[in-house]
Amino acid sequence: MQIPAPFDYVRASDVDNALALLERHGPESRLVAGGHSLLPMMKLRLARPEWLIDINGLAELDFMVREGNVFRIGALTRHTTLLESPEVARLFPIVTDAEQVIADPVVRNRGTIGGSLCQADPAEDLSTVCDVLRAEAVIRGPAGERVVAMDEFHRGPYETAVGQNELMSELRFPIRPRSSSAYEKVERRVGDWAVAAAGAAVSLAADGTIEESSVGLTAVGLDGTVAGIGDLLGGRRPDEDLFAEAGRIAAAACEPVADQRGGIDYKRHLADELTRRVLRRACARASEEQEG
Amino acid sequence: MRVQQPAATGLDLERVDGRAKVLGLAPYAYEHPAENPTYLYPVQSTIARGRITAIDTAAAETMDGVVAVLTHLNAPRLADAADKELAVLQSDEVGFRGQFVAAVVADSPEAAREAAARVRVQYHQEPHHAALRADHEDLYKPEQINAGLETDTQAGDPDAALASAAVVVDRTYTTPAEHNNPMEPHTTVAQWEGDRLLVFDSTQAVHNARKTLAPLFDVEVEQIRVVAPHVGGGFGSKGLPHAHVVLTALAAKVTGGRPVKYALTRQQMFFLAGYRTPTIQRLQLGASPDGRISVLTHDVVEQTSAIKEFAEQTAGISRMMYSADHRRTTHRLASLDVPVPSWMRAPGECPGSFGLEVAMDELAEACGIDPIELRVRNEPAIDPETGKPFASRHLLACLREGARRFGWERRNAQPGTVLVDGWRTGIGVAASTYPARRQPANTARIRFTADGFYEVQIGAVDLGTGAWTALTQIAAEALECGPEQVRLQIGDTDLPVATVAGGSSGTASWGSAIIGAAQMFRKEHGGFPSAGDTSEGDGERNPAGKNYALHSFGAQFAEVQVHADTGEIRVSRMLGVYSAGRIINPRTARSQFLGGMTMGIGMALHEQSVMDERFGMIVNHDFADYHVPSNADIRQLEAFWLEEVDEHAGPLGARGIGEIGIVGAAAAVANAAYNATGIRVRDLPLTADKFLT
Amino acid sequence: MQISMSVNGNEVTRDIEPRVLLVHFIREELGLTGTHWGCDTSNCGTCVVLMDGQPVKSCTVLAAMADGHEIRTVEGLASNGALDPVQQGFMEEHGLQCGFCTPGMMLTARALLDKNPHPDDGEIRQAISGQICRCTGYATIVRSVQWAANHPVGSAATGDAADPSEAEEVTA
Repeated sequence: MQIPAPFDYVRASDVDNALALLERHGPESRLVAGGHSLLPMMKLRLARPEWLIDINGLAELDFMVREGNVFRIGALTRHTTLLESPEVARLFPIVTDAEQVIADPVVRNRGTIGGSLCQADPAEDLSTVCDVLRAEAVIRGPAGERVVAMDEFHRGPYETAVGQNELMSELRFPIRPRSSSAYEKVERRVGDWAVAAAGAAVSLAADGTIEESSVGLTAVGLDGTVAGIGDLLGGRRPDEDLFAEAGRIAAAACEPVADQRGGIDYKRHLADELTRRVLRRACARASEEQEG
Repeated sequence: MRVQQPAATGLDLERVDGRAKVLGLAPYAYEHPAENPTYLYPVQSTIARGRITAIDTAAAETMDGVVAVLTHLNAPRLADAADKELAVLQSDEVGFRGQFVAAVVADSPEAAREAAARVRVQYHQEPHHAALRADHEDLYKPEQINAGLETDTQAGDPDAALASAAVVVDRTYTTPAEHNNPMEPHTTVAQWEGDRLLVFDSTQAVHNARKTLAPLFDVEVEQIRVVAPHVGGGFGSKGLPHAHVVLTALAAKVTGGRPVKYALTRQQMFFLAGYRTPTIQRLQLGASPDGRISVLTHDVVEQTSAIKEFAEQTAGISRMMYSADHRRTTHRLASLDVPVPSWMRAPGECPGSFGLEVAMDELAEACGIDPIELRVRNEPAIDPETGKPFASRHLLACLREGARRFGWERRNAQPGTVLVDGWRTGIGVAASTYPARRQPANTARIRFTADGFYEVQIGAVDLGTGAWTALTQIAAEALECGPEQVRLQIGDTDLPVATVAGGSSGTASWGSAIIGAAQMFRKEHGGFPSAGDTSEGDGERNPAGKNYALHSFGAQFAEVQVHADTGEIRVSRMLGVYSAGRIINPRTARSQFLGGMTMGIGMALHEQSVMDERFGMIVNHDFADYHVPSNADIRQLEAFWLEEVDEHAGPLGARGIGEIGIVGAAAAVANAAYNATGIRVRDLPLTADKFLT
Repeated sequence: MQISMSVNGNEVTRDIEPRVLLVHFIREELGLTGTHWGCDTSNCGTCVVLMDGQPVKSCTVLAAMADGHEIRTVEGLASNGALDPVQQGFMEEHGLQCGFCTPGMMLTARALLDKNPHPDDGEIRQAISGQICRCTGYATIVRSVQWAANHPVGSAATGDAADPSEAEEVTA
């Protein structure tokens, strides 16, 4: 039976209040939402914040809304909500794919998209998803609001662009015509972290050639999306040879480390194989979209 | 031998403890009321071997709520410190990483933990060895192995027979360390009242627990009471008292009579509650071209802890499973600076069957014979080890019945030929066995109550297996009354002496005593007893059993899918058929078989305790990284059994069912994976990367 | 700090330390020990309770976070002495052995059936995939939930024994 070291707790009443509390309590204060990363670390005494600022009550951060060609998802949106949203499934099937394999259903009832991204675990799935969808993170702080692209958002394992006195309030996903996406993960056991995973997003031109594409990888030591895949696929017709080539690029681009979940060669192999799979599926979905 | 006529046994009776458990009212060890309790939190060693040179408890002692800080310098002395696993805080020696080196007792669990974090320990670190290797330089031969078996056996001239055999399989198989991981963390609540000790413990054996504790604390067994009405699983790890039980009772000596509560954290369980040793098994099978085995050798290297010997009987299965004129089994131990290994479900048979039954599959292929037919050709007429007849050996019936139900005839003998939607699919078989043990030294008491019930008392334990139910049925049958007329009492040393819920021996051993008591009761009090009438009876010795080899048998079938591109592996179907003597309750029995098979799937695919030998540290010491199957990993699973009564297995005719379900399960999965892929994996677990060569 | 919540329909108010986890609040403060804990890392699911009708791992929720919410534990499954069909199902179909994971399993099953009264086996497996049972092999748990689905509250046929036709014994 392990419980956290002592801390003080306060519920934020709104975003401004949360920011004021962060400011007031300083560097040893942390925001908590679902708590499924932070609380276990606190129980194991790997994290010892002095103040927890609970933002679970901030309804203003719990929303999903389409505005023109942008889909906005509030940082407090729970995994289960994302998984069960038909609109998300239609616009961004990669999110639904990923949500099906993030932890387990009970954890998904509490965990939030903002929490997953801000925790920035290297084996975390939604970072890859946001990378390939070219999402932007909205960060609010004492100086107001700023919008950062994903490559700027990620700063490495367990580090993001969100400052100590800031809060990620939402994610913005561009909606592109004739586009789709997919995510695939290999795990040791149902509900486990990825051995490796891959996500892809593609947009097709009216003639069925690939207009834009991106591939990201999870848990294999690659920051951001795989360089060179967009250029390779651009203007080409989706086919197996092309996917295979993209897979080879992805395998070469990643830098996995060996651990209990797999060796370097195996993870590299998965980067290759899963890249092919997600491109294949994303292209198939995009062309259905086109026909439909 | 009289065999009790079935009446209440064999009934699909609902669990006696079911209602309490679905209402959340069944008390486990931590839940018993304790007045003004204190809480213990330990300090564990951060080195694998050496000595404590200094220990600073000042900061801890002055914290609010701290009752005591115990170290080897101030802890009460144990009367007997010979068992170094149990001799907690008795010396400055450190024998493995994670060992108890101090403990804080406080008014709250939080205070105990905070204070424990403030205890400063300095060590003189000595070089350690924590990794098991076949070529470990100081391998030694233990005097005997678990269950009191001989360490080595030999018949004929195995080496000469191997040299002349037409077909030889000579392979090495490995199984990793595995942890039992029952869902209820090991828990002890201890309280001294004067020179009497009361213990609520998550244990598989209340009487054995107090027998172990009594000499340590220099008291008579009668001065100790151990209570365990409900236990949240054990799978062997709660069979023998571990260090935390002694530590808690020791700490309770310094609290002025207040109870001390301590539940191991899941992380601590990986160091302090036993585990299955890793094994390295060399199997050599020599046969004629038609698959008749002339020689079988099984040489095992495994580990023990330097502070206490535990020698798993891994090759025991190869002594009795198949005929072979020339045989050899050996066990060698590496004595390492690691936590103390102990019992885990089917010690010996479980890891040993992986080596033997995969080797059999390899031999079948080498001879071009169906794996079931190979086993038919090597079915012994008598026990090859003892020369005695088997009391009941229905292995072939299990194999045939399983083959029929599973659709064995659809197996494609050529491996790696079935590919559906990217998944390579295959099926495999393995044989299974477990010895039927019946422990003497069981006594039951039956008393007729004023309100017309039979109070049946025995100090047995239900660790979740269904003893509450099965023993109620056995008592009802023996008393020739309805199960609703029986009030069973178990899980308390105030009740008559009983042996461990382990070794698949519980039901048969305790049941014999209950039958003995019932017979005595009817003899003494007739069919119309008066209130207060009481009789006791013992488990009758089974002299006939001495003339027979008593074993259960089974056949495990698995269908496995391996993804051609990723190597991902899943067990899509598994089916077991068992011959285990009389089944007392089909509902609890089926659950035991299925649970064993599921743990076997975990062994095949997931379970592995990873040792970082640099630090003597088990790195994946939690459920985030030690993987056991979740519901979504388990697909179609079926268990069947042959209807039989083993008339040589004592008055119940039952042989025990707790362990056979896991024996051979991993081998069946590995053999199916080979059939699917043509890739032979000889090292557990069967991870995806191993199928991409 | 002071918190109030509804537990099994009863309003409770307590002064607690902020670090108290919901599972310990339920067990130690309220004495409802049917909710267990087993891992500390949010993996095992023996601590699952319902929070506003949704299963959550109560070892990973602060009691303070549950302030103002509705909690339902295993002790709140039965009503007026009548077992919930899920409880009945776990008894009928032997969905438990040691019983340690059982409360969490039943609460997740209750939430599943409230949302999806007729789940297929795959949906049941998925729903409880974040909870470990080390004893039963899960098959009987799935059957227990199906039993409950087939015997909803208010249906007549609760309490029947398992179908006698599904004898699984064979003769040697």
